[in-house]
Amino acid sequence: MRSGSSGSPTGDEAVACDDVPVKTPRCDRCSGPAVFHDKKTGRHLCREHFIADIEKRVADTIRSKNLIIPGDHVVIALSGGKDSTALLMILARLLPSWDSVRLSAVTIDEGIAGYREDTIRSADRLVMQYGLDHASISFTELFGGTLDAFLKGREPEACSVCGILRRKALNVAADRAGATKLATGHNLDDEAQSVFMNVLRGDLPRLVRDSGSDSKGRFIPRIKPLMFISEKEIAVYLMLHGAWADLPECPYAVHALRGEVRGMLASLESKYPGTMLHLMESKTRIEAQCAGRLEEEPVRHCRECGDSCSGEICQLCTLKKTLSQ
Amino acid sequence: MHKALPVPDYCMKIILPDKSCRDAGPGPVTVETLVRDLGFDPVGVIVARNGTLVTEDAVVENTDEVRIIRIAHGG
Repeated sequence: MRSGSSGSPTGDEAVACDDVPVKTPRCDRCSGPAVFHDKKTGRHLCREHFIADIEKRVADTIRSKNLIIPGDHVVIALSGGKDSTALLMILARLLPSWDSVRLSAVTIDEGIAGYREDTIRSADRLVMQYGLDHASISFTELFGGTLDAFLKGREPEACSVCGILRRKALNVAADRAGATKLATGHNLDDEAQSVFMNVLRGDLPRLVRDSGSDSKGRFIPRIKPLMFISEKEIAVYLMLHGAWADLPECPYAVHALRGEVRGMLASLESKYPGTMLHLMESKTRIEAQCAGRLEEEPVRHCRECGDSCSGEICQLCTLKKTLSQ
Repeated sequence: MHKALPVPDYCMKIILPDKSCRDAGPGPVTVETLVRDLGFDPVGVIVARNGTLVTEDAVVENTDEVRIIRIAHGG
């Protein structure tokens, strides 16, 4: 708690003393009204310093992990939801000052009635506003049906089915767009949830797998510039830019293990600030310990479609057989 | 027989994520306490006081309009 500030005639700022909370906490850097409080560090930031801090941390992540290099064509996987919207806004601000890096976007229409229509409209508006090239591709075009149709009677499998189809759709769309990097809006919460889920499943290879650097030319490397920005920080960033849209939640999210893990981690983060960041740090340490020790999966090709995969038949071809039953 | 508790003649207006309104009070109270009392986890919501974003350790009072915005998932 800050103390010692004087009261104001407007009453906006209560007279503060050690045992009375101030009505509006102040920015640690400029004393402006704080809009964000980082409970882990205790830091308060005003609008301007919060925005600058988010953009600097994204730039630091990109530089330290070498996510984008000169000459890259970065294609954003733009659903039109909050994370990919924030990603586009931040990259559009950062990248013009970087050497010959091109930015564009692709959108996947999975065919989820009552959910995807709104976010696709939002994506369309955003790319027009920023003047970016934008391509769309649908599950119907690629796989012959909507996700809703594929999931009839198998709703509990929604996230794994959608994940396999969406991964393929994004690869096709990014390839058509001529991408050298595919940027996704995964945030700190998403990444911490994935770490925890992989631990729960005992899946060490997946825990240490880095989709950005181990592509070995088999697919377009995926990058996650928002991996250290929390979901809440993203929401605040959008709100401060007037870009927050109250969009619906995916109707299939309730079926996922991730939903349970999300609730559990949110509760832990609330009680023990920094929990999600600590999970990410654990992952980094495990990666370092495992470097070069895990047996590398041989590069194989699906005997049905020819795509790279780890078994004889890729996940997509296996799934397609069950979808047609 | 117990005497009924006095009903405050003023209270803060709360706008919940589903856009429904309710009154709460009396304040002053921190945003975090209010959010928890309403059954939300502070990690999953952001709060605007009289149209301006505020932190969890800010204080809301009886004359304030408080909007609670749930951080939607997906996207």
